[in-house]
Amino acid sequence: MMKLPRLPSTARPMSRDKADTLLLLAACSLVLVPHIGHLPPWTPWMCGVLLLWRGWITFRGNRMPSHWVLVPIATLSMIGVFSTYQTFFGREAGVAMLVLLLSFKLLEMRSKRDLFSVVFVNFFLMLANFFYSQSIGTALMMIAAVIAILTTQLSFQYTGVVPSLKKRLGLGAMIFGLAVPLTLVLFILFPRIQGPLWGLPSDVNAGRTGLSDSMAPGNISNLAQSDDVAFRVKFLDPAPPKSRLYWRGVVLGNFDGRTWTQQQSYAKPGRPISLRVRGKPIRHEVTLEPNNRHWLFALELPQAAPQIAGNPASFSTDLQLLAAQPINERVRYGAASYVDFDLRPNEPAVALRNWVRLPRAYNARTLEFAARLRQQGDDKLQRINAALMFFRNGKFTYTLEPPLLGVHTVDDFLFSTRAGFCEHYASAFVVLMRALDIPARVVTGYQGGEINPVDGYMTVRQSDAHAWAEVWLENRGWIRVDPTAAVAPERIERNLVTVIPRRLFGGLVNLNLGKNSWLSDIRLNWDAVTNGWNQWVLNYTPARQRSFIRSLGFDDADWRTLIGLLFSVSVLVMAAIAYLLIMKRPKRDPVQAVYAKFCDEFARRGLRRAGHEGPRAYLVRLTAPDSPLAADKKIAAARFLHFYEAVQYGTVAKLSSASTVSQLKSLLVECR
Amino acid sequence: MFKPVQRRVRKILNQWMFRLRDAEPGEVFLNQRRVFIVPTGAGLAFAVMLIVLFIGSINYNLSLGFALTFLAAGCAVIDMYLTFRNLAYLHLSTGRAQSVFAGEEAQFELHLINRRKYDRYAIWLGFVGEELPDLEQAADVAANAVCSVTLAVKAEQRGWLNAPRVRLQTRFPLGFLRAWSYWQPDARALVYPYPEDNAPPLPMASKEKEDGHGRAGHEDFAGVRAYQVGDSMKLLAWRQIARVDPAFGGALVTKHFEGGTASELCIDISTLPRIMDVELKLSRMTRWVLDAEALGLAYAFRLGDIAFPASIGPAHRAACLRALALYP
Repeated sequence: MMKLPRLPSTARPMSRDKADTLLLLAACSLVLVPHIGHLPPWTPWMCGVLLLWRGWITFRGNRMPSHWVLVPIATLSMIGVFSTYQTFFGREAGVAMLVLLLSFKLLEMRSKRDLFSVVFVNFFLMLANFFYSQSIGTALMMIAAVIAILTTQLSFQYTGVVPSLKKRLGLGAMIFGLAVPLTLVLFILFPRIQGPLWGLPSDVNAGRTGLSDSMAPGNISNLAQSDDVAFRVKFLDPAPPKSRLYWRGVVLGNFDGRTWTQQQSYAKPGRPISLRVRGKPIRHEVTLEPNNRHWLFALELPQAAPQIAGNPASFSTDLQLLAAQPINERVRYGAASYVDFDLRPNEPAVALRNWVRLPRAYNARTLEFAARLRQQGDDKLQRINAALMFFRNGKFTYTLEPPLLGVHTVDDFLFSTRAGFCEHYASAFVVLMRALDIPARVVTGYQGGEINPVDGYMTVRQSDAHAWAEVWLENRGWIRVDPTAAVAPERIERNLVTVIPRRLFGGLVNLNLGKNSWLSDIRLNWDAVTNGWNQWVLNYTPARQRSFIRSLGFDDADWRTLIGLLFSVSVLVMAAIAYLLIMKRPKRDPVQAVYAKFCDEFARRGLRRAGHEGPRAYLVRLTAPDSPLAADKKIAAARFLHFYEAVQYGTVAKLSSASTVSQLKSLLVECR
Repeated sequence: MFKPVQRRVRKILNQWMFRLRDAEPGEVFLNQRRVFIVPTGAGLAFAVMLIVLFIGSINYNLSLGFALTFLAAGCAVIDMYLTFRNLAYLHLSTGRAQSVFAGEEAQFELHLINRRKYDRYAIWLGFVGEELPDLEQAADVAANAVCSVTLAVKAEQRGWLNAPRVRLQTRFPLGFLRAWSYWQPDARALVYPYPEDNAPPLPMASKEKEDGHGRAGHEDFAGVRAYQVGDSMKLLAWRQIARVDPAFGGALVTKHFEGGTASELCIDISTLPRIMDVELKLSRMTRWVLDAEALGLAYAFRLGDIAFPASIGPAHRAACLRALALYP
């Protein structure tokens, strides 16, 4: 038996507890480090200095700074936040404030309650980090931070003996490990609600919008990861097929060799737009999430500008829908659109001049290639088809991680890398068209959308952002041509996310990795893992949850089913954990178990064995003349105890323990 | 008017809810029905934090936010198990309780026996009662080990002092939950009467003076006798001891005084004035017993039916003090 040394139990002041405080600082650093990238540059420095200061105080055992020192610094940093963001509200400013709050809280942590507030702020900061990244790396970082926080928190709970850091980390990791099954159950089965619940602060989409008013192939690269909703649509008439779901946005006509921008000179408002439509309009209702821009979206091409109270909308000359005020809150409007139309079929040549302009001294090979195409025939439609054929048969691949392009972006893309996403294709196609003297322009917007089978709403996400091309043909006007469809028709017919893995296996091998097979294997596996992550973790939406539950064989996957499933599976998991942690009893020596039963037997008769009594002393008491036991019981007890003594302390070998135990048991039976 | 009723109802309620029971003999096992668990303030704040995290995750559609929220919730659930098992399935037994004087603190030794394979940390023990201060002691019990904790309670009255009810509680490991259990230890300490401050001197010569024998009698040296256990060091005949031949075995000898009646010290309750308060009498006698022991004077002791012949030593002292403590 070992006895633990006891330390005085008076609560030690926290600042003295160096190891614990340093551990806390380490845990906080783990939480703060991922934020460095998106904070204004002065904030990480400030936090670093504050944390080092705290570490120094702890290390030297100095006193904590007084409020007279801290309050001015804190005020200064608040002013800093305000001057950086011009507001205290909104997400970015909020995150910066939280980061600073954590650093300052560490400098004035005095009691155990403060530990908890630091822990809570840490959790909020971890959540805030997911605004910026939800990659696998971020998740691993989160796990590390959670284990560090748990370890810190439990370190503060010890009162006497404090085990080694390794042991405490082990306990923290154990808590995490045991929590994982529950986390999975909750993650999969907890009924999900489609957010947002309320209007997001105005800066929420800054830098995250699916679209911008310029395009340099590469800008949309991280956008595909953004699962945010751009808008939702309720179709009042039957929805057109997915391949016709184009939501028109900004039209880009100026190309400087690298970046596409809008043509300002052409934007003369009030010019009548000639339009020929066919078929019946498709009526629909759009619920647009705030985008901080003037942009409105409707199915291409709406009959008239939608009516929004207090924010009149109009068409730009490029037929983009623009609201008078930026969209700062969610708006809803109705629209009726024709999917079959001729746009500006009779345009004067002077108006088209701007749409064939190309920067000089760029993309010589593309121009050369165009000259070759030109020789093949005079028909413009034929040329367009030839160009599309080139995309289709040229072993182009669709990828969200395209290689970097040099100065001659289009040359590089068309003739060497041949891998890219919609922007690359649209850009290259339009350049090629212009080189062929065909008026052409890039149109950005959204393509596709996902119908939610439950409520019938179509959701268009930022990941549905797309870029395509429009070419002008005599008598037919501007015709939409989507070169991406030529390469990755799935992108147009299905969702972007579902397209990527399919193409990866046939596609990415071409990315100069073919020679090195193990490297490409790693690459492919990693891509598959990332895709699984996107599909199952990041994209686990309410709809996906329902379809998953349905795939398990539950017909009505509503929230009641979910709650029932959640409840029953959690109970199972909790029972398993309870067995592991609590119910599992230590194995008892069988001889001791029989002896305990013997003692219980005589305790029932009023002769409880005292703690200090060994079997012999107990026997003396049991068989004493004044004991209430009958004579035969006394003999039985004596036989039992003699045998027990011999087994436990004496010479009877415990080797044949099974027979020894059974013999003991039979002796016990006689005592009853 | 309602106070007693209220108190009674609360007592019954407490007894029913927390399974308060009387002292149980032998080893007590804290099974799961005896351990209660509730969230602490920090735990409730954590729950609020989880709700905020959850709402934030919904609002911003953060899948990893959901994961973090559920992970944190899962950790709290695991904490619940760990807190519970940190206390449950502990075996408790009582150790010795030293006798004390009224006004001192009675010390109760309690043993926490851990027969499980995991270490237990930060278990706080404290006596609970209406007038008891909230003093708690923390204990750690390693796997398959015993830890002894000594809890003190102020001894106010002479007689047997039963150990108050003990509350064991723990917040380990994360502090989000508090598990507790009540235990009435089967231990009692003997509380001697309070030794009177500034008591009159020992009642040695008071009788003799009346008899006219004078005070010198107790110095009547009558020779030496063999040492007996309990003889005061002051009565040892050092000169003789030093002179004794080693062949004799170096036995100790004690000075022996004659003229006993004159010098015998008798602590007797009946000699004290009748009008004096009984407790004060006992208190004074306690003081005299202690004084006599300190001076190394043999003393006889009479208290009601109890009469001990003149003697000295720890056993005599204990018997006298015990009689004083338990005097009806």
